[in-house]
Amino acid sequence: MIYVSNLKKTFDGLEALKGVSFHIQPGECYGLLGPNGAGKTTTISIMSAILNSNEGEVSIAGFDLQKRPLDCKKNIGVITQEIALYNDLSAYDNLLFWGGMYGVPKPELRKRIDETVELLGLAGRKYDKVGTYSGGLKRRINIASALLHRPKILFMDEPTVGIDPQSRNLIYEVVEKLHRDGMTIVYTTHYMEEAERLCDRIGIIDDGKIIAEGTLDQLKASGPMKETVAISFANLTDEQCDAIAKHWNDLRRFDQSIHFYSKNIQGDLSKIITKCNDARAEITHIDIRKINLETIFLNLTGAELRDK
Amino acid sequence: MIKLVKKDLKLFFGNKRDLSLTFALPIIIITLFALVFGKMGHENGNSFPGLVQSVAGAAVMMLLFSVAGIGGSLLEEKKEGMLKKLLCAPIHPNEILFGKMAFANIVSVMQLTLVFVYAKTVFGLDIFPHIPSLALMILATSYACSSFGVFLASFARSQQQVQSVSTIIILVMSAIGGSMMPLFIMPEFMQKIAVFSVNYWGMQGFFDIFWRLLPFTDSVFLSRVLVLIGIGTLLNWIAFLLFRKNILKIA
Repeated sequence: MIYVSNLKKTFDGLEALKGVSFHIQPGECYGLLGPNGAGKTTTISIMSAILNSNEGEVSIAGFDLQKRPLDCKKNIGVITQEIALYNDLSAYDNLLFWGGMYGVPKPELRKRIDETVELLGLAGRKYDKVGTYSGGLKRRINIASALLHRPKILFMDEPTVGIDPQSRNLIYEVVEKLHRDGMTIVYTTHYMEEAERLCDRIGIIDDGKIIAEGTLDQLKASGPMKETVAISFANLTDEQCDAIAKHWNDLRRFDQSIHFYSKNIQGDLSKIITKCNDARAEITHIDIRKINLETIFLNLTGAELRDK
Repeated sequence: MIKLVKKDLKLFFGNKRDLSLTFALPIIIITLFALVFGKMGHENGNSFPGLVQSVAGAAVMMLLFSVAGIGGSLLEEKKEGMLKKLLCAPIHPNEILFGKMAFANIVSVMQLTLVFVYAKTVFGLDIFPHIPSLALMILATSYACSSFGVFLASFARSQQQVQSVSTIIILVMSAIGGSMMPLFIMPEFMQKIAVFSVNYWGMQGFFDIFWRLLPFTDSVFLSRVLVLIGIGTLLNWIAFLLFRKNILKIA
C-alpha cells in the first residue's frame, strides 16, 4: 500500500532525512516513533505531497507520488495536530467544504455529512458556527473532515500532542475503530505507550534514519536488552550493598535503591529478593520494568526518548 | 478553485466586521469627503472635479485597505493550519493562491461598484452615460489593487505584519497618488512620483471618465487601463513566485 524508499531531505544544509525506507501493507497500522526533530513530520509531509524530497521514491496506493501526486492525495486522509476548521462557518459548511475539496459528489457528500453529524450527536447543532463548539467537539469534526472522502490511507501526525486525556482517548478509539475496519494508518508519535497500544509495526526513527523496525515482539527480540527490577530500601548501607553485589554483578546503586538487570526478571526476582533479605536490607518498594519501546530506544541510541 | 472562492465568500458575508470595513466604511468616508469637497472645481458633464476626487480617491484608498485584509487572511489560514490541510487535499498548490486572487478581485469589483452606485444615488455622479468605460476601469483598478493584497501577503510573515506594513504603504501611496488631495495642488516632484502609485492610475482613469469625458476607446484612457493591468500582473507574478517559496516552508 505504501512504499517509501531512500528518502532524503535537507533544510538549509541540515540533513533532516538521511535515507528513510519502509513499506506498509494494506490494513496495517504503522507507527513512526522518534523524538522531536527525528524526521517524523518531514517524512509525513513528503508522503502527504506538501513537501518535496531531495532524493528517494514514495508510492501510495499504487501511484508514484512524484508523477501522480493528486491521485496519491485522493487516497489519503490527513489528521494534523491543529484543529483546522473555519470557526466562522457552521460544522455542516466546514464538512461540506473539506469533503468538496476531495471531490466527493455533492449528493453523496450531503448524505455522508448527515450520517457523520448524527454519529457525533450534532444533528441539532449542525448549522451552528464551529467557533461556538467545545474543544472536544471541534476535534471530532476535524477528524470527520479528514475521513469524508473515505480514504484508504490515514496519516496522523502526532495527533495527541498537547491535548487533554479525554480527547486523547477519543483519538485512540478512532484509530482502533478505523484499524478494525481495515484502514491503513501511519501514526507518528513520540509517546511509546501510543505506539505500543495502536500499532501493528513500529519504525523507530532517530536523526533522520529508521534505526529499527518491526512488531513490538520483534523489536524486543532484536537486541541484548535486559529487564530491570528497581528495589528501594530503608537506610541502605554500603556494607549491605556490597553483600548483595557479591551475589549479583549486574546492578547499579542509586542512593537508597538498587537497579538489578536481568534477561529473565520473572525467574530471577525471587533470587534477588532472597539476596536482599540475606543482606538484612529492608525493602520498601519493588518496581519491575519490562522491556518496552523506551528500553529498546535506549538500547539503540543510548539516550532516553523523552530526553532528546 | 471555485470551491475555495465560494468558501471565502461565505466567510466574508458571514463576518459583520469584514462587511462593515469593506462596504460601510468607504461609504462613510466618501460621504464626508463629498459633503466637504463635492462642489469644488469647474463642473464638466454634470460632474464636479471635487466630487470625482472625493469618490475615486476614497474608493481606491479604501479598496487597498480591504484587499490588504484579504491578503492577510491567507497568513491567518497558514497560522491556523488550514493552509497545510488544504495542501494535503488533491488540488494544485497554485489553486490556493489563484482562489485568493479571484476572491480579492470579486470583493474589489463589488466594493467599487457599490461606491459608484452610491455616489450616483446620493450625490448625483453621472455614471449612466459611461457604463462601459466605468466597468472597464472598475475591473482594471480591482485587478491592480487586489494583486497588491496578495503581493503583501506573499512576503509577510504574519497577518499583523501585513496590517502594519500595508497601513504605511497605503497611506504613502494614497498621499502621493492623489487619493487624499488633488495632485495639481502638490509640488511638481510629488506629481512626478505619483505615477509609482496604484492610486494615481486608478484616479486618473476615473477623472478621464467623469470629468475629462474621454470616450471608451480613447488611447489615453486605454493606456491607464493597460498600466493598471500591467501593475496587477507584475504584482501577481511576484506574489506567485514568493508564495510558492513560502508554501514549501509550511511543513
